[in-house]
Amino acid sequence: MISFKFSRARSIALKEIRHILRDPFTVALALGLPFILVIFFGYAIDFDMKDIRLTCVDFDQSRASRQLTEIFSESGYFKIGFPERPDLFLQELDQEKTAGVLIVKPDFGKTLSSPGQTAKVQLLLDGADNSKTSAILSYLPGIQRAAAARLTGLKRQEPVKLRTRFLFNPELNSRWFVVPGLATVLIGLISILLTALTVAREWENGSMELLLSTPVRPLEIIVGKILPYVALGLGGVLFVYLAARIGFRVPFHGSHALFIAACLMFIMAGLSQGLLISVVTRQQQLAMQLSMISGLLPSLLLSGFIFPIESMPVFFHYFTAILPPRWFMVIARGIFLKGAGIGELIGPLAALLVMDIVLMTAATKRFKKDLEP
Amino acid sequence: MSPAAVEVMELTVRFGDFTAVDRLSFAVERGEIFGFLGANGAGKTTAIRTLCGLLRPTHGSARVAGLGYEDGGRALKGRVGYMSQRFTLYDDLTVDENMSFAAGLRKLSPEVLARRTEELFEFIGLTAPRNTLVRHLAGGIKQELALAAAILHDPEILFLDEPTSGVSPVARIRFWKLIRNLTEKGKTVIVTTHYMDEAEQCGRIALMRSGRLIALDSPAELKERTFPEPLLELDAQGRDPDDFLNTLRRNPGVIDVQPYGSRHHVTVRSSSEEAVLSSVPAGMSLRRIPPSLEDVFLRLVEGKDR
Amino acid sequence: MNRTLNAFIKKELAQTLRDPRMRVILFVLPMVQMTLFGFAISTEIKRLKLAVFHDPGDRAARQLTERFYSADWFLRVEPEGDDPLRLVRSGRADAALVIPAEGLTRSLARREATVQLILDASNATKARVAESYVSKILATARRGPEPPGPFQLDVRVLYNPTMESSVFLVPGVMSMILCLVTIILTSMSMSKEKERGTFEMIISAPLENWEILLGKTVPFVLIGMLDTVLILLAGTLLFDVPVRGELWKLLLAAFVFVVTTVTIGILISTISKNQQQSMLGSFLFVFPATLMSGIMFPVENMPKTIIVVAYLNPLKYFVTLLRNILLKGGDPWVLWSNIGVLLLMAVATTALSFRRFHQTLN
Repeated sequence: MISFKFSRARSIALKEIRHILRDPFTVALALGLPFILVIFFGYAIDFDMKDIRLTCVDFDQSRASRQLTEIFSESGYFKIGFPERPDLFLQELDQEKTAGVLIVKPDFGKTLSSPGQTAKVQLLLDGADNSKTSAILSYLPGIQRAAAARLTGLKRQEPVKLRTRFLFNPELNSRWFVVPGLATVLIGLISILLTALTVAREWENGSMELLLSTPVRPLEIIVGKILPYVALGLGGVLFVYLAARIGFRVPFHGSHALFIAACLMFIMAGLSQGLLISVVTRQQQLAMQLSMISGLLPSLLLSGFIFPIESMPVFFHYFTAILPPRWFMVIARGIFLKGAGIGELIGPLAALLVMDIVLMTAATKRFKKDLEP
Repeated sequence: MSPAAVEVMELTVRFGDFTAVDRLSFAVERGEIFGFLGANGAGKTTAIRTLCGLLRPTHGSARVAGLGYEDGGRALKGRVGYMSQRFTLYDDLTVDENMSFAAGLRKLSPEVLARRTEELFEFIGLTAPRNTLVRHLAGGIKQELALAAAILHDPEILFLDEPTSGVSPVARIRFWKLIRNLTEKGKTVIVTTHYMDEAEQCGRIALMRSGRLIALDSPAELKERTFPEPLLELDAQGRDPDDFLNTLRRNPGVIDVQPYGSRHHVTVRSSSEEAVLSSVPAGMSLRRIPPSLEDVFLRLVEGKDR
Repeated sequence: MNRTLNAFIKKELAQTLRDPRMRVILFVLPMVQMTLFGFAISTEIKRLKLAVFHDPGDRAARQLTERFYSADWFLRVEPEGDDPLRLVRSGRADAALVIPAEGLTRSLARREATVQLILDASNATKARVAESYVSKILATARRGPEPPGPFQLDVRVLYNPTMESSVFLVPGVMSMILCLVTIILTSMSMSKEKERGTFEMIISAPLENWEILLGKTVPFVLIGMLDTVLILLAGTLLFDVPVRGELWKLLLAAFVFVVTTVTIGILISTISKNQQQSMLGSFLFVFPATLMSGIMFPVENMPKTIIVVAYLNPLKYFVTLLRNILLKGGDPWVLWSNIGVLLLMAVATTALSFRRFHQTLN
């Protein structure tokens, strides 16, 4: 753009900075909120299940059946309860009082001690809660092995032994991948909100029209509006970074310079998206609805934060490519945990850059349309 | 029934440390057009909002149509109409939708609504289709519509807070005609303005400064009392008046010199009028004029700020 | 009906529904999102990139390798060179399996086979699941079928035997979208009135506080219910989510939930002075509420010190209600206890709104 004058963009930026400094709300939103929420949820989210409630209906009441329930509760994963009315055990599932029902038949102890027979114990699980039930299913082989060994005294030899080495997170600390992911979701969301609301407010109270009546070019407005918030967003990143490193001891193996550069691109994408929303809606209520709808749920559900992209149908491997947090998620986890360099991350970085350009251009184009009579 | 429409005693409204209205006392008769005049921040809006029940007095009392704030001001609110200086209709609703919402707020029946809107649209001369979105109407028409919404329930006392700000001069004249019509029908109108020509049309004017009432009288009386001495107007007719103004300021017979647009207004003692008039340099004109409300305002409100 | 209430309903509906963009946001986007998320998200982890390093002449290893790729769990990555560590570190594979150098055929014969698995654990959940897949496949790698042991767990999954992800996710996503839409709409509507000055017209009329608060609540409950029906239709028709309970239970639960979120929106708007503050308030509510809806991470696992926050989340109760009604037919105890909690929340927030709401500008 030939007619782009940095001086005009700078004066808009300076005005915006004065606004921001006078507005404790914006500063709190950008700096405080991600920090607080990352700490809260970093602490709250734990994928390791403990004390899952299981109901045991013991028709046998033998030594063996008592041993079996002990094995379940000693694993630490389960907490065994006994129903008051054993005949109504299904009701326990219907009433969400338990995650599963363990049914021990009257002849359990006898079958176990008679050679050549298999003592079966039925376990009914609640398929209405997939996440809990999948967790239980993954704990069961271990329980089964332990129970077989202890109840029968026989040790079954696995045909192939597995030795696993976990790279990057040897202790499988789930916080190490939750915290960078959470930071991505929050920084992305707040970048959108920062510009979506502030600029929509200017449309509502008319000060944007005043700005448009001056000879300032659309791109100058966009750049001038975005720059101060980039600084604010980076401030937010700093706090989140400190929370991750000091609060949760998440390792940082990569290059800080690369991380800052990637943050810059990611924040720019969010701010441009917010700006585009506010240029299109020009109304705070609409802008807020649209920011949250386009920002919150996709970044929680489609960015790979919890649900891996590769597990999604193929269409979504491409569809999620339009979401900036999907790319920054890879970058943040890569730089923090794997020490990934520019070589490994060139794809996601390029994707973010493309999105920056596309979103900024779209916002500028919309602005231009407003300027034409 | 109490003879006064509004009776205010020692009314004080504070926001934290800031005293917006300070010991205000006055009474408004029924059928009167009562004006509040004052600079921005003088407390006019706060006073009006308090009288409509939108704010609570910190001290003192106010009776509007004989009613106070005992029931949360609901009885009072039922008897008055209020038009804010902000545009309080919904610009994303149509004319009809706005009127029917206003009627709903006052629990008017559909029949009353239909009759009153007919009357009022005729009264304000609304010609725009009633299913037009309010945002597409011109500024003056919007204000008239806001007035119609404020008097839909036929209140006996009407409070108008700067009803004509941002409206064209023609629309302002029309609007004041409507206000006079209302008082002719026996309504009481209490209005704030900072247009002097509008203030001239009030029966009485309350001049406010920093939350205090500094003068209260009819426009003619106010002029008389504020300017017992002659008022002269100097027109330099393009020449530099500074030397002459300095001479005037040193003259003990001159009480006050005020800039007035490109001219200057000079108050003199009656005994010195002749001498001052004859001292005017060639090419400038100095003549006696009747004081306007603006002079009164400048003298009483701004003069004291110096 | 009270004329004022009637007027509020007409006015809010006209204002909200006139703007075509708002109509799209309220009614089209939720359905689109419902569909997108329902199809996209799977709680099962699939298509992990796995490379198996073995000697090309090792028959047992080749057979084992084929088993890995026969399910949808693993995608084949060709082992490059002979450094499995580098392959995983570079991100070209999520996992690398290294067969002992002497060959699986021979070590199986000695009954001392040990294979090494190298996993990218930067996503701890994924790594744990990958390990369990590998060990499951390895367990079947024995030669010939062995008789079942003397003890066996016979596991049956009820209500959703195939563990269909959409059955689990659809109720969660449904409640997230409903919560998002109603809270933002409601919380910003009153502060918009304050910001624009139209609030002055409302409070200059002789109204009781409850008339104004109810007038601001009812229209948004209506809009929320319309949204509920649309989302429910999209959720149950597009995905094979069964509806085992009666429709009235479903609608009653949704109604109580919408009332609760709308009253929370009202509370936010009585606390805030302008739309920006309402936005912050909504965000502070909506973000934790959706994150703790139970579909992202197990809420019961939260540390004891902060678990109370999870119990204050209306989404938790609504998700429980939805799942119970859809999949289990709606147990009366679950229905009424969860509805009771939601109602209690609605009453508490309404009481707070009443305390915070003043018909004055002071």
